[in-house]
Amino acid sequence: MKLSRRTLLAGAATIGLVSSASMALAQSAADIAVEAAKQFAGTELTVFYEAGLQPLDPINFSGPLWEELTGIKINIVEAPLDQMFTKIIQETKAATGAYDILNVIPNQMPDLALAGALEPLDDYIERYGYADEIAGIGDVYRNNQMTVEGVTYGLADDGDVLLMYYRKDIFEDPEMQSGFKAEFGYDLAPPADWQQFNDIAGYITKTMGPDVYGAGMHFQPGNFQYLFQERFRVEGGTFFDADTMRATVNSEVGLKVFNDILADIEHMPPGVEQWGFIEMLNAFMDGQTAMTISWPPVGRWTAGYGSDTEALSWLPETTVGGDVGYALPPGGTPELAIGFSLSVSSASENKEAAYLFAQWMNSEEISLQRVQLPFAMRDPFRASHYADPEYRSRWDGADEYLDALQAGSVSGLLDLSLIQTDRYEEALRQAIGRLWAKEDPQTILDDLASQWDDLTDRIGVDDQRRVYADWASKPNAYPN
Amino acid sequence: MSAAGSKNNTRKRLALGIICAVVFFFPIYWLAAISVKTPDEIFAYPPVWLPKSIDLNNYYVLFRDGDVWTVFNSLVTAGISTVIAMVLGTFAAYSIARYKTGGPNFSMWIISQRMVPTICIAFPVFLLFVSLKLVDTYIGLILLYTAFNLPYVIWMMRGYIQDVPIELEQSAYIDGLGRFQVILKVVFPMVRAGLFATAVFTFIFAWNDFLFALILTRSDVTTYPVQVTGYFGSQSTFWGKIGAMSMLGMLPMFFVVATMQKYIVRGMSMGAVKG
Amino acid sequence: MSRLFEFRFIILAPAIFFILLIGLYPFVNLLITSFQNITMFADDTSYSGFIHYERLFQDGRFWGAVMRTLLFTLVALPIQIALGLGMAFLFLNKMPFKQVLIAIILLPTVISPIVAGSTWRLMFDNRFGPINQILGWITGTDVELLWTVNLDLVWPAILVADVWQWTPFMFLLLLTALSGVDEEQLEAASIDGASKFRIFRLIILPAIMPVMAVAILIRGLDLVRLFDIVWTMTQGGPGTHTETISVYAYQVAFREFDVSYSAAFALIIIVVLTILVLGFLRLVEVER
Repeated sequence: MKLSRRTLLAGAATIGLVSSASMALAQSAADIAVEAAKQFAGTELTVFYEAGLQPLDPINFSGPLWEELTGIKINIVEAPLDQMFTKIIQETKAATGAYDILNVIPNQMPDLALAGALEPLDDYIERYGYADEIAGIGDVYRNNQMTVEGVTYGLADDGDVLLMYYRKDIFEDPEMQSGFKAEFGYDLAPPADWQQFNDIAGYITKTMGPDVYGAGMHFQPGNFQYLFQERFRVEGGTFFDADTMRATVNSEVGLKVFNDILADIEHMPPGVEQWGFIEMLNAFMDGQTAMTISWPPVGRWTAGYGSDTEALSWLPETTVGGDVGYALPPGGTPELAIGFSLSVSSASENKEAAYLFAQWMNSEEISLQRVQLPFAMRDPFRASHYADPEYRSRWDGADEYLDALQAGSVSGLLDLSLIQTDRYEEALRQAIGRLWAKEDPQTILDDLASQWDDLTDRIGVDDQRRVYADWASKPNAYPN
Repeated sequence: MSAAGSKNNTRKRLALGIICAVVFFFPIYWLAAISVKTPDEIFAYPPVWLPKSIDLNNYYVLFRDGDVWTVFNSLVTAGISTVIAMVLGTFAAYSIARYKTGGPNFSMWIISQRMVPTICIAFPVFLLFVSLKLVDTYIGLILLYTAFNLPYVIWMMRGYIQDVPIELEQSAYIDGLGRFQVILKVVFPMVRAGLFATAVFTFIFAWNDFLFALILTRSDVTTYPVQVTGYFGSQSTFWGKIGAMSMLGMLPMFFVVATMQKYIVRGMSMGAVKG
Repeated sequence: MSRLFEFRFIILAPAIFFILLIGLYPFVNLLITSFQNITMFADDTSYSGFIHYERLFQDGRFWGAVMRTLLFTLVALPIQIALGLGMAFLFLNKMPFKQVLIAIILLPTVISPIVAGSTWRLMFDNRFGPINQILGWITGTDVELLWTVNLDLVWPAILVADVWQWTPFMFLLLLTALSGVDEEQLEAASIDGASKFRIFRLIILPAIMPVMAVAILIRGLDLVRLFDIVWTMTQGGPGTHTETISVYAYQVAFREFDVSYSAAFALIIIVVLTILVLGFLRLVEVER
């Protein structure tokens, strides 16, 4: 039977489809991305990153590797964390197309999407078959840091979570244990709630001070607001009344939390109200504090991982390596503070290539390497990362570390996310600053609530209610 | 006053003078010290006053990572804009000083251009630069600093030029010199000290600018003040780099102050009266 | 005669062109934008009347920033003048090492305010800076003052940084002015038996007044526009306690991208400042 030309073509097409489909199934997302990106060889992509250590990844690893594989050059533009939102909106407002790939802080994603700065990614995800590997991202990051009202705008790329780090040697010391039990009636262990935290911190300060204090955290408002958001919810607080959209942060819970925090400060080194991340880290690494709650790099750096690399040469030596324990903070629902997702700028002139780079970086294969870079600031965020045998054996305790991170990725709490989140956070930061300045807690909270209400009124109660409802309905918005 | 009395007086004043110098220099010393401390020394508590050794690693890192380019960027943008502003501004000042071009209100308007707080016009300027494709370019920043410093140059040089006796110029005309030549060969030498003083301060204004550079650069033309603020991170504060970069940024200024000091003082005394 | 006409315009034109390029467009843009309604999310360019100006007038945070800035200016300026004058007298007459000492004293003025602010943030730091240590030695107790957190200490801290950076500038200006005071007049007055104070008030002060006026104008203006030092030391905190006009303006323009509101804000500041400065200049001109 002579096959008509049409039939031949149809047949060829079918065969082509089938074979490429099976190829797609066999290929990893990273490979697919590289293959597809080769057609853009010779172009340049600009990636927007937080300044400091973060860009070391694209500068030293992912950028050069990508160029080698695809012929696309990666150009990096950096900005300090608190400048990132500004810079992105600035470029968007002027439609400059200066950035192709963006690092987006997830709780700012609604604002950026609303302002038209981000490109929807669902089509690309489907086209390049990325849905499978997306399923491997830790639940909490996948479900909460990638979409705005159902549309995907970013690929969750960083497992930021505020874990508790404590001095195992102190907690496991028999004298400390018996003394503590005698006084408080329960075993000395990482605190399960904030009352225990206060008990333990007080006891350690009493018995070991002033050489060692019970705890020390980063109190600078920019950092502490995340700790507050978590503790407030753990103690039962809600940010808003879902129906009236009035702020309820000045409730009894809010006051209790503020007063409890002030009580905790008694068991921390003097001057702690001024501490930023570095002071907190330094104190813990020096052995001056027994507990702290902070970002994942603390867990790696205090154990000495990566301390021999050039990029981390500015860190002082850790004196507590080997004695660091990892746990979930009191309440068991750590704050997923900050974090990053990879997005594509809506004004980019190379959207497809930009997406492919993002997919490649975020893929199982490449992300596993990226989170293990000694100078990496990207924290594990995929199930495969937590389970990776190589990572788990990188230092004594690395397995506990990864287990704690994984637990956090299940129970963690989301940063508050609304329209113009930054303004609400700004008011919160200011309130915290006032607390350290010893103003009356109730007054501060009432002012904060009224500032939030003013903002809501200005933005539009109905719009905000809708967005808040969307956020609050996520499983990780409030502890269950 | 007796000779002995004034000698005592001089000694007292010298002592006070030294105290002043120490007080003003001390923070700069602290910054220099931190730029050569080891990481352990930087984070030591209580703080280390005298570093045990001079560890130049921070400087090395700035050179290796290319951060030191930002000092170069500052030099280029501040330097070239100063030159352009001085040339255009001095000629403009001559026109206003000698010919009263535009009348008194005109010179008032020129001065008022300098009064504008940077933040007020930062975003419109950004939009302007976007449409002219000048964002994150040397030309863009140079243009901006030139335009921003011109009013100051015109204002200062007008005063200096007015101090030059007009007879000098008139006799030069009689001698057959053309107008340009008169300006270049007669007026300029007379106001040389004023030129230096104004140039130095114009350079300083551009050199120290932060807000414009922050808004109008991305990565190609970052200037050194913007770079320094980038070292204050959310999960790291690179005090060592902050110290080293600050010292590098100060070096050209040390040089300027040291060599130009004579001219600055003379220039200011001449022009200050006229303002 | 017509050639003369052309010449004076030719040599003026390039400068004016530059000034207009950077001066005119932003001003016009601000004017237009302030009557529209552009925000972070909406590019509403329809005419919206005076709503932003009304809002500005009722904006408590704005007036707070204005009050704070003015208060700080009124405190910092006299201090810098007084200290500068004192130092100028000190260095007026011959002294060994005079040039070197003056050069050292001038250093703070020639560094970027960003560096100055960063330096003092470091100096006042409880862990990493020497100030608390020094205070501890003087008072004999443990000093744990939190200069960037404590409400009572933040403004003094900023004041110290600003005075440290700009007193040398005042010092230099006043030194040159004092050197220009007529020696003969001074000698005649002191022979006549006039007290030091009278000499100062009636001879020296009038002679240096023109320079003082310039100094007051330049520094006063800079203080009203204070941004860099506050930005590196407190970022306007705690709360809005150290928020100056420029810091709040930055907030509105570049954090909240309330474009039209910030345009109205900017315009009002420009207009008010211009009027004040021109008024001051007229006053000085008239005096002379």
